[in-house]
Amino acid sequence: MPEQKKLIQFKNIVKSFEDGQVVLKGVSLDIYENEFVTLLGPSGCGKTTLLRILGGFLQPTEGKVLFDGEDIVNVPPYKREINTVFQKYALFPHMNVYDNIAFGLTIKKEPKDVIAQKVMRMLRLVSLEDYADRNVTELSGGQQQRIAIARALVNEPSVLLLDEPLGALDLKLRKEMQQELKYIQQEVGITFIFVTHDQEEALTMSDKIVVMNAGEIQQIGTPTEIYRYPVNEFVANFIGETNIIDGVMQGDDLVVFEDKKFPCRARGFNKNEKVDVVIRPEHLDIVPRSEGMLKGVVKSQLFKGMHYDTVVETRVGTTITVKMQVSQDRPVLNADAGEKISASAFLIDVEDVGELDDAKVVALASAEAWDVETEEPISIKNVEYDIKPEVGSYSVTFTTAAGTSITVKAAVMAENRVESKVYQEEIYAMNFFKKVEDIQESIALDTDLETWASASAWSLEDGEQVEITDVKYDFDPETIEPGVYDVTFSTEGYEYKVSTTRACEEGAEVGLIFRPEDIHVMKKEGQW
Amino acid sequence: MKQFRSMTYPYVAWISVMIVLPMLLIVLYAFTVSGNEVLTFQFTFDNFKRFVTDTVFMEVLGRSLYIAVLTTLICIALGYPIAYAIAQMNSRSNTIMILLITMPTWVNMLVRTYAWMGILQDEGILNTILGFFGIGPVSMIHTSFAVILGMVYNFIPFMILQIHTSLAKMDKSLLEAANDLGATPVQAFLRVTLPLSLPGVISGITLVFLPAVSSFFIPKLLGGGQFVLVGNIIESQFLTSGDWNFGSAISLIMAIIIMLSMWLTRKVDVQPASRGKE
Repeated sequence: MPEQKKLIQFKNIVKSFEDGQVVLKGVSLDIYENEFVTLLGPSGCGKTTLLRILGGFLQPTEGKVLFDGEDIVNVPPYKREINTVFQKYALFPHMNVYDNIAFGLTIKKEPKDVIAQKVMRMLRLVSLEDYADRNVTELSGGQQQRIAIARALVNEPSVLLLDEPLGALDLKLRKEMQQELKYIQQEVGITFIFVTHDQEEALTMSDKIVVMNAGEIQQIGTPTEIYRYPVNEFVANFIGETNIIDGVMQGDDLVVFEDKKFPCRARGFNKNEKVDVVIRPEHLDIVPRSEGMLKGVVKSQLFKGMHYDTVVETRVGTTITVKMQVSQDRPVLNADAGEKISASAFLIDVEDVGELDDAKVVALASAEAWDVETEEPISIKNVEYDIKPEVGSYSVTFTTAAGTSITVKAAVMAENRVESKVYQEEIYAMNFFKKVEDIQESIALDTDLETWASASAWSLEDGEQVEITDVKYDFDPETIEPGVYDVTFSTEGYEYKVSTTRACEEGAEVGLIFRPEDIHVMKKEGQW
Repeated sequence: MKQFRSMTYPYVAWISVMIVLPMLLIVLYAFTVSGNEVLTFQFTFDNFKRFVTDTVFMEVLGRSLYIAVLTTLICIALGYPIAYAIAQMNSRSNTIMILLITMPTWVNMLVRTYAWMGILQDEGILNTILGFFGIGPVSMIHTSFAVILGMVYNFIPFMILQIHTSLAKMDKSLLEAANDLGATPVQAFLRVTLPLSLPGVISGITLVFLPAVSSFFIPKLLGGGQFVLVGNIIESQFLTSGDWNFGSAISLIMAIIIMLSMWLTRKVDVQPASRGKE
């Protein structure tokens, strides 16, 4: 690219809306002449807001927008040398194609023959010469799109803003328009600022991509830079499919992940610094197990035409299975006193037995008594139990002043741990009691099961929490009957997405290889 | 939707009996002489000839059209800015304003017109207030001013609602696009907002002009005896003179005039959209 001058400079733009929502949190960005710049990010990241500030439709709360060195924050849209292609085109429905394109020139009161000449040139550029007299509402999405571009370009702006202009088009048309837009941009030689949430679109067309998330710029770079050298987890994940693995630097050009050392091209990290290692699916290849740098099992393979999307698991997660006792306790009725009492079986850890008192036992068993007629609660006067700090089953009896009583089981359990030595990970969970209604009424059963079983997993290396990603059980929560059920919690293993032309059987034992230059190492960052 | 076709029969029957049949009767009456036997019709054009040749009637027709056109123009001139202002408001004040504008129409039109009589009378509220400033009494009732005021007051909600609807459904990004292409807010209004709200204005015109041209109790109440419009003549033919044939003929003439004017406005309405369809 030739040396260019800065055309637009965003200086620390902050935008907050009346409801207090901060959409842009101090964005600074330089845009050069004749660039095709793409603002890329998920919806709500602030990219459209930034574009609308440049178009003049929004005022920034703070910061400056310099156009050719001059602050244009207070310049109204109709005085800016910028034109916009709107998301839904915003063609004037009461005008035909010609009048739509001529709109800007008519406002500027250019002579009729000049207008006609320019409009026809634009129609030729977007290959719609024969459509001048058509009504815009009769055109297809792609044609309207081109008219919108022609209508903006005919004013010879120095910058063209495009707000997700291809969003409404179908895939094939979108691909065509991507090429066409790129061609038009090179043809007219002006700056295009293009907003999209489609990473592929951004990679295809841009000279420069600005990746945004949550009102901040994450990375600015050429498509290759952004794709090959993402600066953080967000960018790596947002741009294309990717594998991100926890690693530790061993010095320059040497990184450890999955307990193995691998040469790479990464400098400037501290020794023993924790990093994220990025390997793109297409940079991994599947080889026989003995030749692999990493070994694993094929978990799934999807045929995608040109290639297979294969998932290889190099290590399984840590797993624990606990027993869930499901009871259905009905309240006991004392007809003479007109009282009912209820309590449920409960479970307690060996270590906690010493701290038990009456109130705690009542709470653990959710024991309650009430008047049958008034439903007024009645206090439980007496709690009898003899729970020893030994694994076993004990009886607990609750009695009211009127003598209404109920007896339930309390189980004392040892801790239930599984340690996964190889991967330095531990998982913990407890057996537990639950009532049928609790399970039937649960809205998020997996989460509730985790809570009830106090299930958690952590790394033995640094004590950090590891997410439990899988909860398995063999009952139907809708129709569950009292009984004992197995519940299994597991953490995620390491899985690699591989894009390969090699067909594999599911469950096949394979090896993975990659080249040192295809490993990209990123600093660990909290943001995602 | 073929299977639902039989469900329309009751409506067709209803419309035939309540609308088509009376219309046919009016046509029949307009072309016959009064007093003839039920089964021996005597066809004649005399009813029409009488209306067209009598200068008094033609004068009344002219006055009616004049008042209706004036009312419609005033309704546009007042109603458009109001509708525009309402369309700019946030949705809450928008709803409140629409409610305020429709609220008077919940009260019977006759009652509201009587209220105006009280206000405009020589010893009415307005003149009492003017009296405090040593002005008047200004005679307002029984003038064309009173009649037009009454009509504008009664019919302007229809105009406002129609224009408001067309403004509210307009895509706001069109204005942004116009601004973006170099149009100042005024230019954007003239070139985008105004043409796009024309359909609303047209249907507003229809809704105001039709009742205004055929209204009879507003001129009767606010115009007094001396302010006769076509509606009053038709009314008196049916209710006082009992000449149903002549009354029907005038009704038919009015119906034709109204249809013609509607056809004309439709033509104006369709034109901008179909431009360049060749």
